[in-house]
Order: sequence, then C-alpha cells, then structure tokens
Amino acid sequence: MDRDETHAPTWIDGITAVSPLLLGVAPFGLIFGVTAIAADVPPAAAWASSFIVFAGASQIAIVEVLGGGGAAIVALLTAVVINARHLMYSADMGRYTSSVPWFRRVPMAYLLTDQAYLTTTHRFPDPRSTEGLLPFYFGAALALWTTWQITTTAGMVLGAAVPESWSLDFAIPLTFMALLVLAIKDRPGVVAACVGAIVAVAAVGLPYSTGLLVGATAGVAAGMASERWFA
Amino acid sequence: MTMWIVVILAGIATFSMRFSFIALFGRFDIPPTVERALRYVAPSVLAAITFPAILAPGGTLDPWNAFVPAAVVGGLVAWRTKSIGASILVGLPALWLLTWAVDVHLW
Repeated sequence: MDRDETHAPTWIDGITAVSPLLLGVAPFGLIFGVTAIAADVPPAAAWASSFIVFAGASQIAIVEVLGGGGAAIVALLTAVVINARHLMYSADMGRYTSSVPWFRRVPMAYLLTDQAYLTTTHRFPDPRSTEGLLPFYFGAALALWTTWQITTTAGMVLGAAVPESWSLDFAIPLTFMALLVLAIKDRPGVVAACVGAIVAVAAVGLPYSTGLLVGATAGVAAGMASERWFA
Repeated sequence: MTMWIVVILAGIATFSMRFSFIALFGRFDIPPTVERALRYVAPSVLAAITFPAILAPGGTLDPWNAFVPAAVVGGLVAWRTKSIGASILVGLPALWLLTWAVDVHLW
C-alpha cells in the first residue's frame, strides 16, 4: 500500500488545516449571536442551540422563522432540510470509520461539520490509508466547535454593537466559495459543481431551502453521468 | 418554550443525520455506485449553498449585487493560492471597496 511513512498527521495538523476556515466561521458566529439577540426569541435557547444543534445556517434559520412569528414545525423542517447535507458527509466519512469503535464514532458524528469533513477528506483522499485520521479529525473539529461556541456567545454579548457596514454576512458565502474551489479535483467535479449551482439558483424560490437539496442531488447525478465523457 | 422544543428536536435530528452512515458503514460494503456518487457530494453541495447565497442574497435573483464581483475575486484567489485564508482576506476588503465605490457613485 502506498503510504507516507515519514509523518502521520497529529491533532496539531488538524488545527493547522482548519484554521484558515475559522476566519470565515468566526464572523458567521458573531452574526448568529447578533441576529439572535436582535430577534424576538428567548436568548438562552438561541445560545444553547450552538451546542445542541451546532450547525450555523440552520441555527440562523430557526431564529429567523420563530423570530418572524413562524410556526414551530416550519422552523424545525427548515433546520432539518438545511442540515440534510450531513447525511452525505456522514456517508463519505463512514468509509473512513469502519474500524473506529462506536464510542469514538458518537463524538465524531456530533462534531461533523462542512469544515471538518472537507479538511479531513482533503488531507486523507484514500479511505484505506487513515493513519493519524482520528487525531487530525478531532483537532480540526474541536477547534471549529470551540470557535463556534466563543464567537456565537461573543456575538450575543456584543449585540448590535457590530456595524452592518462590516458586511460580515458575506464571510460565509466567501468561505464556501473557497471551500468549493478546493473541493473540485477533476472534470466531473467541475460538471457536478456547475449543475449544482445552476439548479440551486433556479430553485431559489422553493420553500424551506429545498433548492439546496435539489441542486446538490442534480450535481451528484451530473458528475456521475459526465464520467464517461472524460474517461 | 417553543424555541427550546424546536432547538432540542433539531439537535436530535441533526445528530441522527450526522451519525447515520458513520454508524452503519463497516457492517456492510459500500456499493461501488454509492462510492462514485460520494465523490461529487462536496462540489455539488458547496456549489448549491454558495451560488444562491451570492446571486440571490435576499432570496430573489440579483446578479448585479456587490457580492458577485467580490466572490469572483475571492474564488480566483482561492484557485491561485489554494488558501482559504487568503481568499477571505482579499474577498472581504474587495466587498468593502465595492460598496464604498457604489456609495460615492464610482460604480
């Protein structure tokens, strides 16, 4: 088997790999805190969602729906649909964790985020060669968890003191744009991304952010179908 | 109280989705078709999150908003440098510059 014998990744490598992404997560955490304080929702429940749900976009959606007087079931469905992408990340991570004991899989699953998933699969392209995977993953995932708890709390404390002119709401799409560029590794990947983008933009009016799932599904299908053109 | 119930149920649902396949795999082999599909999950999901957020930030399509050129700059920096940090450190100031240019009617 082809493996790098010189250096198995450690938890420090995980933190190092995820640290650029924290630049995008930190402003997003502040935005969530500021948004939650400004909205008409119980601040304690909004604060607790950072470690109970631990998924930023869905946390913002819950606050927006309930703060705007929306029904609880709509808030819940929106959060579930936004977070359904974790099913796909879980399926991919599952290829790496078949020999990991279940008591470690539970914290692995709880800490599974876009950023932890992407940095780990980027560093470990081959699921058969996973030496150092657990320390790397937990280093990256816990760094992200800690950043999220600190910045969402800070956002709630600072409240409306963050001026809107900083445009911190742009930090997260910008982070995702950079993640996207790094996630494209071959031509079918380009096709998957283009189709995913076009379909998701066309479906932007669909309720409950379902356009995201429709776009992602179309992208995966297009990527698979295009493999034969580039073979 | 409603908010607490929603948060707790969303937490349970989110954890279940994160745990689903991590819990299941290892008990059976992944079909090759599924393994192929998984290769395109990251580019597809990320594109489906990113492009609507940039092209339709308010929920309706607005291709002329300032996010678009700033995101192009950020994407190019990410592509050339392979660095997300560099991309954000260039993209966010690019947006500030663009909004400033609009404010003073340079745009």
